[in-house]
Amino acid sequence: MIEIAHGIVGRSDLPIPEWLFGWAAAVVLVVSFVALAVLWPEPKLSRASFRPLPGLTRVLHSRPVDLLCGLVGVFLLVVTVYSGFEGSQTSTANFAPTFVYVIFWLGLVGLSVLFGNVFKAFNPWRACGRAVSWIARTAARAPMPAPLSYPERLGHWPAAAGIFLFAALELAVSDGDAPRTVAIAALVYSVGQFVGMALYGVEEWSDRGDGFSVYFALFARISPWSTRDGVVGLRPPLASLADFRPLAGTVPLLAVMIGSVTFDGAAEAPIWTGIAPDISDFFQSIGLSPEKALELTFLIGLIAAIAIVYGFYMLGVRGAQSVGGGFSTGELSRAFIASLVPIAFAYVAAHYFTLLLYQGQAILTLSSNPFGFLASNPLGEAGTDIFGTADRSIDYGVIGATSAWYWMVGFVVLGHVAALTLAHDKALTIYSDVKLAVRSQYWMLAVMVGFTSLALWLLSQANQ
Amino acid sequence: MILLAHAGHWLVNAAYFVPVVGFLGWLGWTELRNRRSG
Repeated sequence: MIEIAHGIVGRSDLPIPEWLFGWAAAVVLVVSFVALAVLWPEPKLSRASFRPLPGLTRVLHSRPVDLLCGLVGVFLLVVTVYSGFEGSQTSTANFAPTFVYVIFWLGLVGLSVLFGNVFKAFNPWRACGRAVSWIARTAARAPMPAPLSYPERLGHWPAAAGIFLFAALELAVSDGDAPRTVAIAALVYSVGQFVGMALYGVEEWSDRGDGFSVYFALFARISPWSTRDGVVGLRPPLASLADFRPLAGTVPLLAVMIGSVTFDGAAEAPIWTGIAPDISDFFQSIGLSPEKALELTFLIGLIAAIAIVYGFYMLGVRGAQSVGGGFSTGELSRAFIASLVPIAFAYVAAHYFTLLLYQGQAILTLSSNPFGFLASNPLGEAGTDIFGTADRSIDYGVIGATSAWYWMVGFVVLGHVAALTLAHDKALTIYSDVKLAVRSQYWMLAVMVGFTSLALWLLSQANQ
Repeated sequence: MILLAHAGHWLVNAAYFVPVVGFLGWLGWTELRNRRSG
C-alpha cells in the first residue's frame, strides 16, 4: 500500500518552495490564536444549541432503514472475506484490499466528517450482534442483559489496540495487502468483536471497544450532525467534540491515529530509508529471516512514530500545566485531547487525498469483478462484469499535482485552526482566569505549529 | 559537491521545523523570564 499511498506526479510549478508553505501555515495559526484570544472571550462550542430534526430521525431510525443498512454492512463484510479467500491473490485486482484500505479506512473518514456517524448504521459486527441479541431475547421472552459491565479502566484501550493492529497490518506486515491476509484479518477482527459484544453488550462494546466504531465516531464529532437522546439534529461543526468525554486510553488512541499516518509518510523520507536497512541488518544478524527482520523494523518505526506524537502532545500539556491552574498532567491531557481529532483528520485527509481520489476509482471496476479474475481465464474461473464497469480504468486526470498540493495544505491548515479553536474553547471552560487560559494555550499553539510543520514535511517527502 | 548536496537536502528538511523550534524557543525564554521576575 505504501507504493500507492501518495501522489502520483511531482509538483514543479509552485510559486514558492514547499517549506515556505509550512512557515505560512504557522503564521496563519499564530494569527488565528491572536484572533481567538481577542474575539472569543467565552466558551461557545460546548454551549452551542442543538436543533432536533424529528422528521429525519423517524426516517433514519425506522426499522426498514436500520435493517437495510445493517444488511449492506454485513453483505460488504462477506464479499470482502469471500473475495479475499477465493479471488485472485493480486492485491490491486481483488476487491478486498482496495475496499478495506481505501474505501472503508479512508472513504468513511470523509463521510463521517460530512454526514456524521454513518458507520454506526452500517457496522456489520453491531448488526450481527443486534440480530443475535434480538433472537435470544425473543426465544427467552425476557431481557438479556450483558454478563459483565464494561470496566472503566478498559475505556478506549481495546479500540486503541484494534487501530494499532490494523495500522501494523497495513504498514509493517509484508503481505498486509494480500487479499487472503485481509480476509483473515477481517475474520479475526470479527471474532474479537463478537466476544467483546457477548461479554459487555452490543452497544457498550461498539461505543467503547470496537476500534473502527470509536475511530469513525470521533471523526463524526467534527460534523454538524449529532444525536441526542436518540434524536438526530444539527449543531455547529466541532461542537460535539467540545462535549466529548475521554476515557482511559483515549490519549493513546489519538496518538495511534496520528502516529500511524506520520509513520506512513516518514517511511518514504531519507531519514527512515537511511536507517531502516541498518535496523533490519541487525535483526538478521541475530537470526531473523530477511522478511521478519523488515517487518520488525517497520513495527519499531511505527511504534516510534506513535511515541513521538504522544510525547510531543504530552510536552505541550506539561507546558500548559506549568502556567498554573492546579490541574494534573492527566487532567489536562484528557481535557485537550479532543483538539487532536481535527488534526488526525487533517493528517488522514492530506496524506491520503490522492490515494482516495485515484485508487478509490478502482472500486467501480472491482465491484463488477470482485474476484479479479481475467474475463477469459483458461486456467480456471473467468472474471465477472456485474455492473458493466469491469473494464473501467483509473482517470489520473481528476486532479493535477499542484491542485492536490493546495488541497492538502488546505486540509492541514484548516484542521489545525479547528484544533486551536477547540483547545481555546476548552481552556475557557476549565480555567477560571481568562488570562491563565490564554497563557496555557501558548503551549497548545506550539503543539499545533509542531504538528503542522510535521504534516507538511511528511507531504513533501512523497515523490521527492 | 556530494557533501554540499547532502547539506542542502538536510537544510531544506530542517526549514520545515524552523517555526516550531523558533516558537518553542520564544516560549521557553518567556517562561524563564516570567519565573525570574517572580
